[in-house]
Amino acid sequence: MNPLLLHDLLEHLRELPSLPAVVMELLATMDGPDTDLGELAKKVAQDQALTAKALRLANSSAYGLQAKVTTIQQAIAFLGFDSTRKLITAAAVTSNFPGGRCAGFDTQAFWRHSIASAACASVLARRTRFNQDVAFTAGLLHDIGRLVLASSYPVLYQQALDWRSAHDSSMLEAERAIFGIDHVVAGVALAEHWNFSDAMRLAIANHHAPDAPGASFLATIIHVADAIVHALDLACQEDDLVPAVSSAAWTALGLDEETYLQVFRETELQCEEITLILIG
Amino acid sequence: MSASYQHLALAEVKPGMILSDVLLDKQGQVLLPQGAVLTAATIALLPRHGIVTLAVLHQGDAPGQQAPDATLVQQRLARLFRKNEIDDPHDWATGILRRYIEDFRLGREIER
Repeated sequence: MNPLLLHDLLEHLRELPSLPAVVMELLATMDGPDTDLGELAKKVAQDQALTAKALRLANSSAYGLQAKVTTIQQAIAFLGFDSTRKLITAAAVTSNFPGGRCAGFDTQAFWRHSIASAACASVLARRTRFNQDVAFTAGLLHDIGRLVLASSYPVLYQQALDWRSAHDSSMLEAERAIFGIDHVVAGVALAEHWNFSDAMRLAIANHHAPDAPGASFLATIIHVADAIVHALDLACQEDDLVPAVSSAAWTALGLDEETYLQVFRETELQCEEITLILIG
Repeated sequence: MSASYQHLALAEVKPGMILSDVLLDKQGQVLLPQGAVLTAATIALLPRHGIVTLAVLHQGDAPGQQAPDATLVQQRLARLFRKNEIDDPHDWATGILRRYIEDFRLGREIER
């Protein structure tokens, strides 16, 4: 790892526009106990754009609500606190993160991949009896380090993108070649800076190495979801590349083919609708 | 709501059809997830939960169900999985994922 660059990266993180305070709070408590619901609903309601997007998600067909919810309080009442927290976070992260400084970095494709990974992780979580809302958010944020690198170092990131094309490598290898660090390191740095929950930070740290010592089951879910989403071609990038799937992670999930085919179908269905709402 | 779906009376629903939305019972509990493939056994259980109609995807609209061109599918998968040797014993999990995706794209699960 390049210590100079890491130091510099931390400086850049301080300059990033931060998420609305209420979203930072939600991310920090993602896998913790419920916070004060009334307080939360009030804070979120102050941000109208955020509220509107979160409510559109709540009213999407994935939840099958009989009547439309029109306030955050209603969403909490009908969907529960965890799901509402997940929706607000998704709406905030996809709206507030700076992008577009690096010309070659396709921000839309980045979010398509992240949203698809979130949908897939959530479906895998249900099949393995893991917390679906935590899995969704971890899936959404697993590659956030890419966005950090691309917005903090647009020129260098362009070089990494060119290196990747020239060597037909993974983005991870290209980042290491150009930066000496990769999006995993950058993602973990952001997770610490923004005070993400430990579970979220560890999943980001190990999503490319789910069999590393100390890696969590959440990292395993994200690792497999990431590969599935590349394989399903959901980011719509011609030169997409399916990363190697860890056999330990595959075995740990323990799902049969019939289940995977269901997972693929559910992922495609959910992903289409959520993508439309979040990034239009 | 998915783009292209139809509401069918339970009697018209056939095995292999795909739910376009999550299916809830009267208490609002999830019976089946969005995208579930209906089997004869699940259809038989639905009246017990008070289900009379279902929203299913139009035939041919389901992802992975459009009459797929096997050659095109395999070409694309070869491109996406270009770093995976299909019979590499050290990379078997990637190989299995590739096989499952191919089965999915070619709609092989319907006959199962």
